[in-house]
Amino acid sequence: MAKIIAVTGKGGTGKTAITTLLIRHLTRGSKIVLAVDADPDTNLPETLGCETNRSVGDIKEFMQEERDKLPPDSNKETILKSKLYEILEEMPGYDLVVMGRPEGSGCYCYINNLLRGIMDKLVNNYDVLIIDTEAGLEHFSRKIFRNVDDLVVVTDGSRRGLRTAERIRDLVGELETDVSSISVIANKVTDANRLVIAETAKELGLELIGMIPADEMISERDLAGEPLFDLPEESVAVQEIKKIAEKLGL
Amino acid sequence: MAEEFPFEISPMFEGERIRKDGMFVELAGPKAVGFELVSATDMDEVEDGKFTLIGPDISEMEEGARYPFAMTYKIAGELVEADLESIVERRNHEFQNYIQGMMHLNQRDDIWVRIGKDAIEKGLTSFEQVAKAIMMLFKNELPFIEKVEAVYYTDEAEINKEIESIRDIYTGRDERTRNLHDEDVDTFYGCSLCASFAPTSVCVITPDRIALCGAINWFDGRAAAKVDPEGPQFAIPKGDVIDAESGEYTGVNEVAEKLSSGEYDRIRLHSFLEYPHTSCGCFEVVGYYIPEVDGIGWVDRDFTGTAPNGLQFSTMAGQTGGGKQVVGFLGIGVQYFRSPKFIQADGGWDRVVWMPKMLKDKVSEDIPDYIRDKIATEEDVTDVESLRNFLKDKDHPILERWEEEEEVEKEASAAPQAEFTAPQAGFTASQMQMPTNFAPSAPMVGGGGGNGGVKVILKNAKMSVDRIIIKKLD
Repeated sequence: MAKIIAVTGKGGTGKTAITTLLIRHLTRGSKIVLAVDADPDTNLPETLGCETNRSVGDIKEFMQEERDKLPPDSNKETILKSKLYEILEEMPGYDLVVMGRPEGSGCYCYINNLLRGIMDKLVNNYDVLIIDTEAGLEHFSRKIFRNVDDLVVVTDGSRRGLRTAERIRDLVGELETDVSSISVIANKVTDANRLVIAETAKELGLELIGMIPADEMISERDLAGEPLFDLPEESVAVQEIKKIAEKLGL
Repeated sequence: MAEEFPFEISPMFEGERIRKDGMFVELAGPKAVGFELVSATDMDEVEDGKFTLIGPDISEMEEGARYPFAMTYKIAGELVEADLESIVERRNHEFQNYIQGMMHLNQRDDIWVRIGKDAIEKGLTSFEQVAKAIMMLFKNELPFIEKVEAVYYTDEAEINKEIESIRDIYTGRDERTRNLHDEDVDTFYGCSLCASFAPTSVCVITPDRIALCGAINWFDGRAAAKVDPEGPQFAIPKGDVIDAESGEYTGVNEVAEKLSSGEYDRIRLHSFLEYPHTSCGCFEVVGYYIPEVDGIGWVDRDFTGTAPNGLQFSTMAGQTGGGKQVVGFLGIGVQYFRSPKFIQADGGWDRVVWMPKMLKDKVSEDIPDYIRDKIATEEDVTDVESLRNFLKDKDHPILERWEEEEEVEKEASAAPQAEFTAPQAGFTASQMQMPTNFAPSAPMVGGGGGNGGVKVILKNAKMSVDRIIIKKLD
């Protein structure tokens, strides 16, 4: 059974960087990872250093458009599965799938139904599934992913940021997705606010599993648009991620 | 049996994915040519169990490389026929996936196969091993196959020689598939994906009637019901034919009563006006009855304007959805226009008077030539009066219906003192709601000829009627 981890948080908090570093950590072990970019707004492929050009959104569109042109008895499930495999980016140690744009108009019930079945089976081929998802958790509401072992909310250390984590925790309660645990990572933390963050988290009843310091190496690469995947061991973020990974049982 | 092969064969390997990292070779796929084909052949043309390979074998292949790949099988047996070919191809797909270390995707000339390094380590050296395993499974699982022979190709030139004629075979199959009709099958399929928001809607998918959402045809229903009979797509045994013209079947009616929780118990699959198929709300196109011309207009989801009846798609969609049989509106999938049984109970294309231009262009090839120019669009008319004139100008077949009415009216007015006789007819409208401008000008009571009959004209009536009982007075 693959362990499923979803990393969420508002834009700008650094969740994509954290997702990338978690993947980096896992691939250095012997675990096979399926990375899912479920946030149309971010750049997980870029931070991983893995360019992709097609997404699940594209293949859903393709199925809708080709529907009337395909021979009537084509097995749509088999075609959809093959298309999904085509867009999977295969990298050493991990595969990446980009969910892509939201649905157009038209009825996607049947396609989504097929896709759920295909994703269920695909996921069994991996040790860990890491999903970089936007704070609205749209793909979960559609049940493309049925359950999550760990939902990790990334926030900056501010009180407002931690309250976002609280809100996400409440949102999760409304979804039918089964989430086994919710935890928080505070990012870009300075020495000055470290203590306050820990206290606030405690006050709000949030499980804080890591505090990642502001990392020069990351800022430089972000500025230059370079991947984070090959950050050296000395990076402070990398160090903290190791501890976080352990806490998550990875 | 299984010790013959250096690999395990089990359904538990069906979802196995061979990643690039773990791949020995890739065969066909998006970046190389390939195909698979099963041919039903005569008994004396098949050498049972024989395997031929044209091109390099697995042991001669380079790790990490990609090769073109084709698989062909000849099958023979007393019960073997051409229609079984694609079914056996599907099983080839399944069985190859059951082999540990082997992955098979897609179908026909889009196949994509990978062999894993672990399979090689366990002793896989030749395609012959794979083919023999598949042929064994064919005979074990598909008893109608008495003899089977396999020929695999890994030589690009040879594959390219064959591929055109192979594609012709696929096209020939598609032709036959398109010629499959309601009367040719025993089973229709139902879909309950929309049940959560229209619990009393019963969606019946037949070879001549695609699902109203447009997403599922009869073959999809069949494939899905086979894989998961308790899932959202399920079989509906047709039962006996009650009326072939309108498409009413005992099996369908039974299911209708059960799944609509008694809301209705009859569905006429190809009728607009009587016991119409219900809708959830996902239909691509909605049809609406225009009483002033006794015709049917259609509006699709993308049309933002107003139909000649003054309503927009969204309003009519509201009337039509929800899983109730509403006479005067019908939700359909665009492909239903293509059906040879398209609303045939009510006159088919002869009854169609208006469609938005874009929709009309989209399905232009499906509209019979004789009527195409007689169907108005928003560019021709935007209200009912102009529509009437347009139809008169173009001499639309609907004019014949107007003449019939006028005849009946004349007769009725010519004998104002005549006995008011009417054939016995019990017409319960409790299950049908009248939409607000419903003014039927055609007789709704089944009149059986003879003298008189009765005509009920309701104009601009806004009413809901529990029962209308028309009795013959003795």
